[in-house]
Amino acid sequence: MADRTRFLVAYDIRDDGRLRQVAKCVEGYGNRLQYSVFLCDLSAVEMLRLRTELRDVIDHRVDSIAFVELGSPDSRGRHCFDFMGMRPQLPRTGGPTIV
Amino acid sequence: MGTIPELVPARMVNEFAYCPRLFFLEWVQARWADNRDTVEGRWHHRAVDREGGRVPSPDDDDDIRRARSVLLSSDELGLVARVDVIEGDADGHVIPVDTKRGHPPDTPAGAWEPERVQVCVQGLLLRDAGYRCDQGVLYFAGARRRVVVDFDDELVDRTLGLLQELRAVAATDSAPPPLVDSPKCPRCSLVGICLPDETNMLSARSEARPRRLMPAASAARPLYVTEQGVYVGKKGGRLEVREDGDVVASVRLIDVSQVSVFGNIQVGTQAIRELFAREIPVCWFSYGGWFAGIAEGLPSKHVELRRRQVIVAGQGGLEIARIVVEGKIRNQRTFLRRNSRDRDDRVLDQLRDLASEAGDAVSVPSLLGIEGTAARLYFDHFPRMLRPEATLPGAPFRFDGRNRRPPLDAVNCLLGYCYSLLVKDLTVTALAVGFDPYLGFYHRPRFGRPALALDLAEEFRSLVADSVVLQVINNGEVGESDFVVRAGGVGLTSGGRKAVLAAYERRLDHEIRHPVFGYRITYRRVFEVQARLLAAHLLGEVPEYVTFVTR
Repeated sequence: MADRTRFLVAYDIRDDGRLRQVAKCVEGYGNRLQYSVFLCDLSAVEMLRLRTELRDVIDHRVDSIAFVELGSPDSRGRHCFDFMGMRPQLPRTGGPTIV
Repeated sequence: MGTIPELVPARMVNEFAYCPRLFFLEWVQARWADNRDTVEGRWHHRAVDREGGRVPSPDDDDDIRRARSVLLSSDELGLVARVDVIEGDADGHVIPVDTKRGHPPDTPAGAWEPERVQVCVQGLLLRDAGYRCDQGVLYFAGARRRVVVDFDDELVDRTLGLLQELRAVAATDSAPPPLVDSPKCPRCSLVGICLPDETNMLSARSEARPRRLMPAASAARPLYVTEQGVYVGKKGGRLEVREDGDVVASVRLIDVSQVSVFGNIQVGTQAIRELFAREIPVCWFSYGGWFAGIAEGLPSKHVELRRRQVIVAGQGGLEIARIVVEGKIRNQRTFLRRNSRDRDDRVLDQLRDLASEAGDAVSVPSLLGIEGTAARLYFDHFPRMLRPEATLPGAPFRFDGRNRRPPLDAVNCLLGYCYSLLVKDLTVTALAVGFDPYLGFYHRPRFGRPALALDLAEEFRSLVADSVVLQVINNGEVGESDFVVRAGGVGLTSGGRKAVLAAYERRLDHEIRHPVFGYRITYRRVFEVQARLLAAHLLGEVPEYVTFVTR
């Protein structure tokens, strides 16, 4: 298994156009948890690719993106969550997708 | 001996100094794989990849101050390079600056030879263009440190010598052998393609047990679509499966290793193009599980392998066919021995004898006879491995040449389905390694069968496919309600199909100890290792193909 780490990615983007671009970019790397908060299970290479894509989109003077490392998706990355109100689904880890 | 392109990129001189085989795989055979180092390298190049700054000619009054991403080439030297940064002083001296990831190594020269040679190539190109250039700089982005490299006679001679060697190696037909037990291999991005330790062991160049150098397997897994009438489309970086406009599944493309669709399912053009760009194949099956076709991007660039495959197949391929059939029978024997409820040692002995007969067979037709006899024995005893109380629809399982289209009993139905999946995966593997999947050594390339994939599948039939059939029946993962019987033919329902797919994928993730190399590895990975070993054998790198046989 490629070693993936779960990251919480949250952003504040000052412009609607860039906001849409950032959202679209992060959607390819993670699952939306809340409006501008994503959970991304990524290997080191995938994380680097995400950062490379985001780098070219945001305005580095006014926009901000936070990357928080949560640990393995199977242990701490899962157990560190506690919700109040509606409980969203956490991304599933590994395995084929059978539809 | 072929002609080689006139201009060698400076980066390739670096690769050649690191490992001649790496250079050959990358430049001559145009094969590539990313790892963390290569992706990080690109990230650190972001600032210097955009052209910028003025680059006056040497005889202009103006001097170079600082220019980014300058392309230089010289027909005389036979070199081309994109210099990250050129810095100049008022006296007309210029310095090429090459950006590297990470930190400078703790060596007297402050940098490893391949990097020093690479920047020296850039210096030679600048000199050739008429600039005064006696030094270069390696900028290590991780440490933000500059290391000065003097272009003394020793380095220049070494660089020119390497260039000559490089051209000689590029002109040959086969890749140089792997480095022996080298500390360079673990960090090399092509280690999974090169298989240095495995190749050295099988070719008796090294007696050491192979290190487990295969890069971490990708976490991506197949996407199977079996629901009829759905549409698979791309949205951003995801694949979406939609039914009447509703999204029924959305998967990140980075989680997808292949797409398999069964029956009447549409796959959008944008999705297909994106899948091709990511080297993810799409496999089409009929609703009933008949493997109907595969689409992938451009064919492999590993022309030499295809050429050798054609030559060896043209010579009959008996040697490989013998090894493949022997491996298959030995695995069938082990499988019976391990799983039978009442073991019949006589059958096991017979299978062992047939396996060694296969190893000595004098022709493909006699091999076919031996394989047929072994199959009859094996399948006659197959029901002894099944849980007796499992009730399955259709006729009781009997082996009479195995029936299919339609299968007349549930076991044959499951076997057929799993063999389809197995052949699909070995077709995908064969294509990825660079083979023509239709040109086999044991199976004849007739009736549109992917003969090479069928050859490669033989050793895994019982280990993977039969094992899944046994598991889903004995664990009750499929039962009577998962089948439909129509006009005597037995088929799987949608639910049954999904259960089998899940069990099959689980089996591929099962880890086993490799009988020859000793490290633990999943079946998913073994497919690739076996295909690469067969390739190494065809290319003359290892004397014999070795099948995967468990104990």
